[in-house]
Amino acid sequence: MNRFWGCSSLLFLLCIGGSTLLPPAITRAAESSPQRVIIGTIYDSQGNPIEGVSVIAHASQASNTLAEAETQSNGIFSLELPEELPPNLSLTIERAHFKSEEVPIQTSDLSTLKNGGIIALPEIILDRHIGIAFWVATVIFIIMLVLIASEKFHNTLAALLGVTLVFVVSYLGRSVSESLYIYDFKRALTYVDWNVIFLILGMMIYIAMVEKTGIFQWTALWAYRISRGRLWLLMPVLMLFTGIASAFLDNVTTMLLMTPITVQISLAMGINPMSLLIPEVMASNVIGISTLIGTPTNILIGSYAHISFSDFLKNLTPGVLLAFLGLIIYSEFTYRRELKKSSNISTTLLEKLTEHGRITEPQHLKKAGWVGLGMIILFVLGEKIHLVPAVTALLGATTLLVWIKPDLEEMIAAVDWTTLVFFLALFMVVGAIQEVGLVSIIAGLIRKLIGENKILAMFVVIWASASLSIVIANIPFTAAMLPVIGYLTKTIPSVHTKVLFYCLSVGSAFGGNGSLIGASANMVTAGIADRAGYPVTYMYFLKKGLPALIITVALANIWLLLHFF
Amino acid sequence: MSGIVCAIRGGPSSQPTIQTAIDLAKSTNLTVHFLYVVNINFLSHTSSSRVDLVYHEMDRMGEFILLVAQDKAQAQGVPSDGTVRHGKVGDEIVALGREIKAEYVVLGQPQSADDKDIFTHDHLQKFKERIEKECNAKVVLAEGAHP
Repeated sequence: MNRFWGCSSLLFLLCIGGSTLLPPAITRAAESSPQRVIIGTIYDSQGNPIEGVSVIAHASQASNTLAEAETQSNGIFSLELPEELPPNLSLTIERAHFKSEEVPIQTSDLSTLKNGGIIALPEIILDRHIGIAFWVATVIFIIMLVLIASEKFHNTLAALLGVTLVFVVSYLGRSVSESLYIYDFKRALTYVDWNVIFLILGMMIYIAMVEKTGIFQWTALWAYRISRGRLWLLMPVLMLFTGIASAFLDNVTTMLLMTPITVQISLAMGINPMSLLIPEVMASNVIGISTLIGTPTNILIGSYAHISFSDFLKNLTPGVLLAFLGLIIYSEFTYRRELKKSSNISTTLLEKLTEHGRITEPQHLKKAGWVGLGMIILFVLGEKIHLVPAVTALLGATTLLVWIKPDLEEMIAAVDWTTLVFFLALFMVVGAIQEVGLVSIIAGLIRKLIGENKILAMFVVIWASASLSIVIANIPFTAAMLPVIGYLTKTIPSVHTKVLFYCLSVGSAFGGNGSLIGASANMVTAGIADRAGYPVTYMYFLKKGLPALIITVALANIWLLLHFF
Repeated sequence: MSGIVCAIRGGPSSQPTIQTAIDLAKSTNLTVHFLYVVNINFLSHTSSSRVDLVYHEMDRMGEFILLVAQDKAQAQGVPSDGTVRHGKVGDEIVALGREIKAEYVVLGQPQSADDKDIFTHDHLQKFKERIEKECNAKVVLAEGAHP
């Protein structure tokens, strides 16, 4: 609904189509007796409708309440007044984290109301109030980010701690001072994006059935065979397969399965596994964003900005492929000395590799392949019938469960509930900083910095997200940035509706290549490599990853500029 | 059964440990029992639901690392076998040493400053004493090696 919906349009719609717009009580009143209703819409200073604003009608200079209403999610309120009205009428408009407003009702409007009419007020803008709650929520959010980045706490525990602190301050602190109130539990739940939760859940169940088939190990061995031991060829083939797998499955699972077999191939060939593992994990971080379901950040972005599976394929995949090409050239150059090595694998080692690179459940793989294909078709075509990706994922997972009939307990246990709880808590913590206005302030500052320069906006979003994702976990960062990008998209003239979201997708994912802690897949790869006697230090990863970040982000940036301008 | 226990992690820093065990086996005519201990602590900050799957993959990687070491021993005419275990490295070395009634346990030299690592200077001496006491085996430190 357009926020600039005029008063007359609103009144017209209320009169003509009132039965659909007005609450049942008002509709019934319209049928039987004269109405005395005030309609209005309340926005924040950035034009976002505000939900939960209390609108109280009272006689001017008096405090007794005549009528009370609350705004809906679209910012609209409908206030039904009693039969007896005072000579002067005012509305008090209140909401936590906003400055209260007093709106006097004009004499002519009051006459209309007294005659049983309906009046529509001009849009009401509420200014933000920066109080103690603002600073408390901001500090809690920063603490959560620091705990995640420093690895002092598990991501999920850090997010849970964050949301619990918000509730403690809101509920217990409120009894001390009203200014400590952030939000209540009901309000916190409205910030949870259930589409994201169920999409991840569905994909996790599907992946749990695919990962046991041996397809990853088989493909890695197949890559060795087709490259015939030529390392300069083996590296891009492994990168490509890892990337494709990451575009449909989550990066951590892909690297959990690819790293051990890659280490084995490397050891068999007598080369340092780093020369294959680092390019693989970087390819996973790069190609992962070519689809809606490839990374949690894309799932967040897609759900928030209504970017479909095919939108990602059409608008981002070519840029990702360009970045991937740059990454291959960079990796070949960086590891050129290691790639020149060649040695024959001993028969014993080759036999072991073949044993480990076998498809273990061919029938399950076949079924998973058909279901996976069906899911991709539904992801692409589903938007035409308003089928949301979460439903497609659940449909695919359930179909495969029914078809394969695995141990259900085992499959449900394979769901990474820790990650799902992380997302639930994260949504609420990010909701807290939205509630108190931190996100609006950041959005306003960036908007001032950028002005109306759309190209500068793209540069700032893509490079700032990439730089910050080196040190900040990219999932909470992306979740917090979504409303900011939404505001920039809405207010910068002639910016394509989605381009800044694509910039955020590129920056937050490719930024993961900049440091060891930049992406969970990096940490998993480093952990397994360390257990094989090849420790990956922070500096080693930085040295290899930072140039890769610059190259890939620059290439994706060029694509986005060419594609959207 | 008796022999030499040699715990390895793989990688270049394990090579001197492996070679020390092989050289010792040559001079004593004993079998080398290579040991790889799977540790998945690195998952503590990421995915936690795939423990079984990760153990399975890590077991396979461990088997392969042991096979590479066994290949090296075989090439030098030394009989060897390999065992993959889960748990704490120190406990598993002692457990294997007891089970096979090992005569020798070959350990890598300290390189890490991580005080949790049993192969640091301070811990190594205590660990050596523990092995000698609990396994009744001699401890040989490999020069310039790390497990």
